[in-house]
Amino acid sequence: MEMFDYEFMQRAFWAGGFIGIIAPILGVYLMLRRQALIADTLSHVSLAGVALGSVLHFNPVVSGFAVAIAGGLIIEQLRRTYLSYSEVPVAIIMTSGLALAVLLMSLKSNLNKSFSSYLFGSIVAVNSQQLWMIGIVAIIGLIFFIVFRRPLYSLTFDEETASIGGVHVRLLSFAFSVLTGMTVASAMPIVGVLLVSSLMVLPAALALKISRGFLSAIIIAVAAGLAGIFSGLSASYYINTPPGATISLILLVFFLAGLAAQRIILRSKRRKRFARSA
Amino acid sequence: MILSSMRSVVFGYGNEPVVENISLDIHAGEFLGITGPNGAAKSTILKLLLGLLKPWSGTVKINQAALDGGKLVVGYVPQQVASFNSGFPSKVIELVRSGCYSRLGLFRKFSKEQEAVVERSLKQVGMWEHRHARIGELSGGQKQRICIARALAQQPNVLILDEPTTGMDHQSRIGFYELMKHYVKEHHLTVVMVTHGLEEMDSYLDRVISLERKESEEWKCLTTSSCSVRFGPEVS
Repeated sequence: MEMFDYEFMQRAFWAGGFIGIIAPILGVYLMLRRQALIADTLSHVSLAGVALGSVLHFNPVVSGFAVAIAGGLIIEQLRRTYLSYSEVPVAIIMTSGLALAVLLMSLKSNLNKSFSSYLFGSIVAVNSQQLWMIGIVAIIGLIFFIVFRRPLYSLTFDEETASIGGVHVRLLSFAFSVLTGMTVASAMPIVGVLLVSSLMVLPAALALKISRGFLSAIIIAVAAGLAGIFSGLSASYYINTPPGATISLILLVFFLAGLAAQRIILRSKRRKRFARSA
Repeated sequence: MILSSMRSVVFGYGNEPVVENISLDIHAGEFLGITGPNGAAKSTILKLLLGLLKPWSGTVKINQAALDGGKLVVGYVPQQVASFNSGFPSKVIELVRSGCYSRLGLFRKFSKEQEAVVERSLKQVGMWEHRHARIGELSGGQKQRICIARALAQQPNVLILDEPTTGMDHQSRIGFYELMKHYVKEHHLTVVMVTHGLEEMDSYLDRVISLERKESEEWKCLTTSSCSVRFGPEVS
């Protein structure tokens, strides 16, 4: 294929592959924990970290990373305070993160341009440092989800029962938050705030709707995420559209097509059942 | 033999105590019922016994000698379990198998014995036929039954059930009481169960702790003196 003659496209596919695996898996757990908007929130928090790094003359990538992880941990701590309203900590941290980012940005007038690249990202402009970073985070994430698949299942189903069953609920939840922060912080400069969220939410939303089992939900989410990224990247190359927006829209089309297919299958099953009983 | 004892426990939500100076013992291998009106802190007592809540004062202790040197495995079916997240993407068998995770740890594979325990647990609650159904497709009573099967699949030493028969029909409830009695008799399981349906399960229980609100203070209860005990040794 012609597009793979270009090194930047090869890097884009590698980066997309890493994000396409880890983001949908995280998304499934986040949606089940009613924290679907956490990616959006941590993106804004990470942005504040990047701004802080620039203002303090510190490596902005590292500060963005550290602040996103801290944001994830604070959300988890607040979630324990607002057990019945798990969306409240997300809203608190999102508004605070954005406010802090805007304030810090105003202190450095030349930062606005580089911030827009963080907000919208560009998967076709991935540098090797970013590629390494997302690669390492994806591998750590995969190991985490494979090793802790059993306690994570119990935790996601019901924290109280999991705790009695011997799961270290608090520790595992904090580790999960750290991983979420790491993933968002490393994916955001590559794909932008918009695509981080859609990569976590849309494949997971589709998988939760159509899968019958937990493992199949994870597999469907990853398959949809990867298919969306690879087809979106290819489409954006050939029809010259922004890759992030193209991938997001393709994921949305997958989601809608999945829902429609599920309805059609359910209807035909119902008809068959009626026909048999008649 | 005493398995767990609670001594002079005080606990509350906010500033008001709902459990005041309560002491009680749970004996190994007994079928214990805890009953009382709404708001009598029955579930709170269960959570204190399980260590899910920390008492303001007093102690809750497990007697390790009653476990024959083994690890305490507690099976727990919480109240209103039937209202759990219906969108949770899991087959019935996946959920019940997850009951074995505490014994399996992170990596150990399911043995044939464990598969047999899962199958037996599902059959005992009458849900084996539904093992491939998605849990969100089940009725409230069926969800309750698979959560009981999950707790049984843990092969617990103690089974703690918070109003477990909610949503079950009469026949299923009787079957459930008989099943619990069988586990107590044949497997020496300790069962502690919060229930409102005392009349129909009187004959199955070894002991009942009946909690009452203090007459002078509505919605506030539980001094030791307000606990009455039937069919067995007194609440200590």
